[in-house]
Amino acid sequence: MRVAGRLLFVCRLVRGDIKRRRVQSVLLLAMIATTTTTLTLALALHWVTDSPFARTRAATKGPDVAGLFEPGFHGNVGTYQQFVALRRASGVLASSGPYPIASLELSARGHLVRVHAEGRDRQSAAVDQPLLTAGSWAAPGGVVIERGFADALGVHVGDPILLNGRQLAVRGIALTSAVPTSDPLIWVTRSALLASADKSRPLWYALNLKLSDPASVPAFTNAHNGGPNTAWFLESSQGIRADDSATISEEQQLLQVGSALLAMIAVAGIAVLVGGRMAEQTRRVGLLKAVGATPRLVAMVLLAENLLLAIAATIVGVVVGRLIAPALTSPGNSLLGSAGSPALTLTTVALAAALALAVAAAATILPALRGARTSTITALNDPARPPQRRPRLTALSARLPVPLLLAVRLAARRPRRMLLSIASMAIAVATVIATLAQSHATVLGVQIAGNILAASRHNSVDHVANVLSVILLVIAAINLLFATWASVMDAQRPTALARALGATPRQITAGLAGAQLGPALIAAVLGIPIGLVMYIAADGNEATAHLPILWPLAAIPITLIAVAALTAIPARIGAHRPIAEVLRSE
Amino acid sequence: MNSNSSVLSARELVKDYGSGAALVRAVRDVTLDVASGESVAIVGPSGCGKSTLLYLLGGLERPTAGTLQLAGVQLERLPEAGLARLRRHALGFVFQAFHLVDELTALENVELPALLAGASPHNARVRAVELLARVGLADRVGHLPSALSGGQRQRVAIARALVNEPAVVLADEPTGNLDGAATTDVLRLFEQLHADGQTLVVVTHDERIAATADRLITMRDGEFMDEARLTGGSARSLGAMTGLEG
Repeated sequence: MRVAGRLLFVCRLVRGDIKRRRVQSVLLLAMIATTTTTLTLALALHWVTDSPFARTRAATKGPDVAGLFEPGFHGNVGTYQQFVALRRASGVLASSGPYPIASLELSARGHLVRVHAEGRDRQSAAVDQPLLTAGSWAAPGGVVIERGFADALGVHVGDPILLNGRQLAVRGIALTSAVPTSDPLIWVTRSALLASADKSRPLWYALNLKLSDPASVPAFTNAHNGGPNTAWFLESSQGIRADDSATISEEQQLLQVGSALLAMIAVAGIAVLVGGRMAEQTRRVGLLKAVGATPRLVAMVLLAENLLLAIAATIVGVVVGRLIAPALTSPGNSLLGSAGSPALTLTTVALAAALALAVAAAATILPALRGARTSTITALNDPARPPQRRPRLTALSARLPVPLLLAVRLAARRPRRMLLSIASMAIAVATVIATLAQSHATVLGVQIAGNILAASRHNSVDHVANVLSVILLVIAAINLLFATWASVMDAQRPTALARALGATPRQITAGLAGAQLGPALIAAVLGIPIGLVMYIAADGNEATAHLPILWPLAAIPITLIAVAALTAIPARIGAHRPIAEVLRSE
Repeated sequence: MNSNSSVLSARELVKDYGSGAALVRAVRDVTLDVASGESVAIVGPSGCGKSTLLYLLGGLERPTAGTLQLAGVQLERLPEAGLARLRRHALGFVFQAFHLVDELTALENVELPALLAGASPHNARVRAVELLARVGLADRVGHLPSALSGGQRQRVAIARALVNEPAVVLADEPTGNLDGAATTDVLRLFEQLHADGQTLVVVTHDERIAATADRLITMRDGEFMDEARLTGGSARSLGAMTGLEG
């Protein structure tokens, strides 16, 4: 009965507090949810290439070992006959090829691209039979184009192309799990290949092997790859998978960096949030103790409230993460199907929940400990950390116009909050700058190399970087809103007093918003070099990190305008609170 | 009192809070004229609406009905910014809870309204130093409010109220948070202000401070119940009378 009574008491207090502080509760929930969303994304993407590759491999009779005879490329040790003899090597169950391969120039839709063309038979192959996703198989006068390359090139079935100057048509678009080279791949008939190939250059040959024991693939490739000067190279299916997922690996790396940044930005935001709530919570602790609640019960009330928000945030974060993931996991048009919704594993949910619970615990422990340590009367009467005094800034601000005077003095009251705001905004600005550098590098890369397939892969990485930037900007905006709101609440009395002494609401609004503009300016100035360093550190090309000077410089006014717009509403609300009500409440 | 010679004039002021069954009429049809240089004390029990009336007179709250004129300007028609500008030059406030800015020194607190009114930093500083000396705190200019006693804080607040040479000083229970000796200090200051011709409206339930006024108005349930013209006492005689001073 006593336990039921306590539970009822706790539930009532939690419900009442959440209802009374809706804005704060929603902001806390949003902040934790955004962090758990990104964590979910990062974890989900970790395994994303496995299932599409496996599906593609099964549908295309993917080889366990793909061999490429390329005389003169690495060396000349070993003959074509020895290479072909690998079909009869011990452990080989089935094979296809050798298929001739030539490096040709393909021209379509205004692009001129060097491709590797593979000469194929009309009959279906026992191993590595590309899966047509559109059109029909290679025939005289027509080619089949690998899907990822076709998408990058923007060609469809029926479109004309020029292959080494010969007019052909796209007959089909297909997938394969055996990409012999890093260049774009097309399939033509053997006769068309021989007719188009440069006679002065030797042809290469592709051989696909299926082994009786898939576990013996590494041993097989090691045994038959020969020395460093061998004329052929054998690659295992695992190696091919690693090549295919290289793009996704870059995205995983980006997401991991993004998660770390988000964790930092979220910690900054949560520190502001917890600090902002501290005064109120400490007063509440004092009140609860005054009416007879034990420190344990008080801690229970705080924990229950924060836990409720954390659980809701975990659910929102995991669901949103699952919904967003497919938008990030469709880089491989060369694989069968999109990655789809990543699996929602127990580990993912558990880690997201652990993160949310850690935040809830942090938000509980500090006020609970502080409340338990301080006397009831002190907790009731003197809950807030006294604002800091900055004599030089105060003296300097006396020379400024009223809005700036107020802005400087309001910002100087809470330097730690200001530092957290700077950190949060600097991370957001840095990420945007790094993303811009990445996009700029892609554009330059396309202009210099004309490599459409590489550009397509870069676009995919850009896509992830853009989504991350948006998420970071959103959480930075939430941080900023909360920091402004915390400043508005914290400065209620001084701003009401300033109005009583003659400051206009507009001056107060400008002062409150201006208190965020100083940190925003510092954040923008710091964020630009940090962003460029982030880009270079993430294997970006230093030469292409030099954006046109106006781009990073534009980040400064854009940040200031965005911050002014975001903070205007809470500042305006703060500047219009009834003066008498605030002064009377003291 | 002729309203034409009044620096502050209120006609049938009404202030309601809430609505329907929860409606509370805090101020009921209050009419008041305060002449330049006059000292008016408004007394009454807690919750009778005297502080609300003071906030209405100072433009910190909007009346539900009635008209209000301060230094020749109709207050009820002014927008918020206009009210703020009027407060800068025409009004000085002294609050029961002092309402000093914690992180500013006594000097910085006093010069703040002057800076808000556009005074140069030099002039604001000179005026603040002068006023702090006038309230007997010349040796406390660099102290933070937390390092001052209650009486000293209230004297800083009084100096702050005077920094822009306002037409009217409105004081809300200025001795409400003070002990006996500090009360006497503040009484003396108010007496000095009155003698210097400063217009004062003081809301108080302290009879000693009320006794220094030219006019004493008793308020109950939001209405003026009684009004008496006094000859004016002195802080010294009142202090002796109440046993605070020998």
